[in-house]
Amino acid sequence: MMWLAELRTAALVGTGRHDAPQPPAELGFQAPDGLSREESLLDQAALADIVTRATRTASAASSAGFPSPAPADAVPQASGEAARLLELLLTQAPVGPGLRTQLVVDWLTLAEEARRRVPHRLLPALLTLAETQSIVFRRMEPAIGTRGRWMQEIKGQPSQEPATQSTGLRGSDAAAGYGPLRGRDPAATRIQLSECWTSLSARERAGNLALFAGNLHDNDEALLEKALDDKAKGVRDVALRLLDQLPGSARAARMAARLKPLLQLKGLLSKRLEIDLPPDPDKEALRDGVPADPRKGEPDRMARLEAIVRGAPLDVWTSVTGRNRPATVALLQDEPRVLNAMIAATAARNDVEWARALLGVLTDRRLLDCLPPDERAHWLERHVRESSDEPLTLAPLLQDLPQPWSVPLAEAVLTVISGKDGGRLAVILSEGLPTALPPEVTERCRQLLAQTDKDASRRRVLRDAVQYQSFKQSLTEAFR
Amino acid sequence: MGRWSEETVINAAPDSSSLAAARKLAHPGPWTDCGSNDDLVWGKCQGSGKTPYQVSVDIVAPAYRCSCPSRKFPCKHALALLLLWARGEAAEAGAETADFAKEWADQRAVRATVKERRNAVQPADPEAQAKRLTARLALMDAGVDDFSRWLTDLVRTGLAAARNQPYSWWDAVAARLVDSQLPGLAEQVRDMASQVHGRTDWADHLLRHAGRWWALSKAWSGRDNLTPEEFADVKAALGWATASADVQGTESLPGPWLVLGAHRSDDGRLQQQRTWIQGPDGTVVVLLDFAAQGQGLAAPQLAGALLDVTVARYPGTTPQRGMFTGPVTPLDVASSLGTGHSIVQALEHESAAVARSPWRTRIPVLLDEVTVNSEGTGWLHDPHGDALPLVDAPLDSLLALTGGHAASIFGELEDGRVRPLTVVVDGRVVTP
Repeated sequence: MMWLAELRTAALVGTGRHDAPQPPAELGFQAPDGLSREESLLDQAALADIVTRATRTASAASSAGFPSPAPADAVPQASGEAARLLELLLTQAPVGPGLRTQLVVDWLTLAEEARRRVPHRLLPALLTLAETQSIVFRRMEPAIGTRGRWMQEIKGQPSQEPATQSTGLRGSDAAAGYGPLRGRDPAATRIQLSECWTSLSARERAGNLALFAGNLHDNDEALLEKALDDKAKGVRDVALRLLDQLPGSARAARMAARLKPLLQLKGLLSKRLEIDLPPDPDKEALRDGVPADPRKGEPDRMARLEAIVRGAPLDVWTSVTGRNRPATVALLQDEPRVLNAMIAATAARNDVEWARALLGVLTDRRLLDCLPPDERAHWLERHVRESSDEPLTLAPLLQDLPQPWSVPLAEAVLTVISGKDGGRLAVILSEGLPTALPPEVTERCRQLLAQTDKDASRRRVLRDAVQYQSFKQSLTEAFR
Repeated sequence: MGRWSEETVINAAPDSSSLAAARKLAHPGPWTDCGSNDDLVWGKCQGSGKTPYQVSVDIVAPAYRCSCPSRKFPCKHALALLLLWARGEAAEAGAETADFAKEWADQRAVRATVKERRNAVQPADPEAQAKRLTARLALMDAGVDDFSRWLTDLVRTGLAAARNQPYSWWDAVAARLVDSQLPGLAEQVRDMASQVHGRTDWADHLLRHAGRWWALSKAWSGRDNLTPEEFADVKAALGWATASADVQGTESLPGPWLVLGAHRSDDGRLQQQRTWIQGPDGTVVVLLDFAAQGQGLAAPQLAGALLDVTVARYPGTTPQRGMFTGPVTPLDVASSLGTGHSIVQALEHESAAVARSPWRTRIPVLLDEVTVNSEGTGWLHDPHGDALPLVDAPLDSLLALTGGHAASIFGELEDGRVRPLTVVVDGRVVTP
């Protein structure tokens, strides 16, 4: 409207410099006589205000941004107490953020088992939480229901989690799909990769070869041998690391041939094992991964020995000593670097027998991971109960164990925690402890909590554990 | 008075951090000497100091006392005690009232009696009242004159010049208005400072408001020609509060009242809660609650609840402000809010409301069969192809609840935009 535009101009520059316009005749507005410019302008401003507000019209509906309606949900929604608990967790969680996430995951799991879905009104808060907590994201299906998937579509969220690590190479179509394929069909991947080996860049060759680590097979040896001659160091390193996992390979045999002459039993009763340091590596040895001499300074001859130990089959040791594994290991007690290399070889080959033997003289997380779950839990439990080591040394052994722990293990750990110097262990484990402790030991935690204890952080960890269990109990009951 | 529910306690909390702190204390460990009777809940909470904090709560006319130095009100200790009591974990009835709680209750009782006596003893002195009224009118007249002059100065020098003024310039004008007992106008002027600096359409906004203020000044000067309702609206716009005691005495409308929706806002200084309720005859009334920062607002009413309560109305044109004049008893939960309007009808209502009272900027609307469009800040579409923009809308929540299907939405129509407060889906009234 011309009038409004003129009115705005007059008001902006001021009536001192610009006359107020005449109101349009069709509004039937009759200004009283004798008004000053300012009064006339303000009168018209009041009129403009009323006219604008009284004559609003609806905008025409645009179809942009219009979602197609969500299909109906087939699964009934969680109601009553279950819904209330989820709302409590999402809006004003009575527990810390870590526990909150875990409890939301528990809720989703229980909902799936009970064939219930998240109430519609709680979906936004849940989806927001899932944006930052990938574990929630992974557990959302199927409890978010049709409406939840519809919301994800609208918000443009991927319904599959974005890959956290780039597996293999990017950019090359030929190899982009190797990651999943290697999981399903290792042989096919090997053949494909060998065929296009020369057309790939060094980084792509290394990345794709590294995918083999999960399910390496003796048949992969030929390709790995070929990779040892690769001109890129990155590719050679990956191949060497993988060949360390294959004690039956030709390279392992070559390493065995290098190791054997270095080992000698000494003493009247052959109770001493002497280990010589390897000679300067020749071309073949360099190809097999024995480190070259540095350009400056003394060569690290011990590192050469370690590389050989890691590559050679472990049975070389028993064949030289003529003793069984534990007895052989006992001879090596004063050689920490050699033992460390043997641990690396054991872990790479997942060798249960050697792991048991080595655990007899030293404790290492990598060895524990080679044991079957039951045996590992049993070993840990005994170790936690009997070990007189500093409690903190238990932390790396206990972290990332499958949860929940067995009852005896949990009880043993609680004993250590509640003992002298146990507070710091409690703090280090605080993240996973509440979920790791099985419900059977909750009562024990309660008792410990009731005791007077000056260590506030230990109290907090125990309180978290009790809170988690009681909340989880409420969740279980709510879904019953 | 029965035991409170946990929700009641949660609603009494001044903010969520107090509540979180209270939850940490809501286990029997730190509490001693707890007890309750029909009026009081009390207990001692061991804090970091040597002497435990003494906490007493009057549960009938909610009042809280704690010996801790917190400025939150109620403090975390009072909330924690109430949580424990609400869950039945502590403060069971039967114990003898603790001394500190009894002392406090007695003090309160004495104060209440004194106040009552003062109110009863001092009958309104009509002469003094008339004198005070004349003085106030004179003060307001002078203030309105001064403001009109400021408005003419504003348009003489031009709005562009006003935009270059600092916030303090607007604040000075607002302060003068407050001195002249025109706080409602002062609030609008103070708010204009940020609008002028923040809006892209600031020129139109300021021009229209200047016009509105001008009309308001004129209406005040010509108040003798206004109907009582119109005059009440002018008074409310200028910020002349009507004493609730005056409203108490007027006719009360019986229930059941249906809660249509509520909005809470917090501008950093003041928390405000607007609750729209509808009477059996279709009368819509808005309840206003205010609380200073850090204090608890009145407990919100659940949208869709049917309340058995009587409501008195403040003077003014519809929709009037109302207040509860009796105890509130929730009767039932409604499955719908009734029949609503199309977007075009809603805008016609807005026109009519502007014509009735140009000072009102907000009208309640129930829109039928509208779908939510998430473009920009959100839109509502109706089946006739009309659309209205949304304001302050929790879009994700609206989409999750409606799933893109048509639903009835209740909200406030303000400046041609809808602030959605309540959604009706699947036979349930929900707050998004």
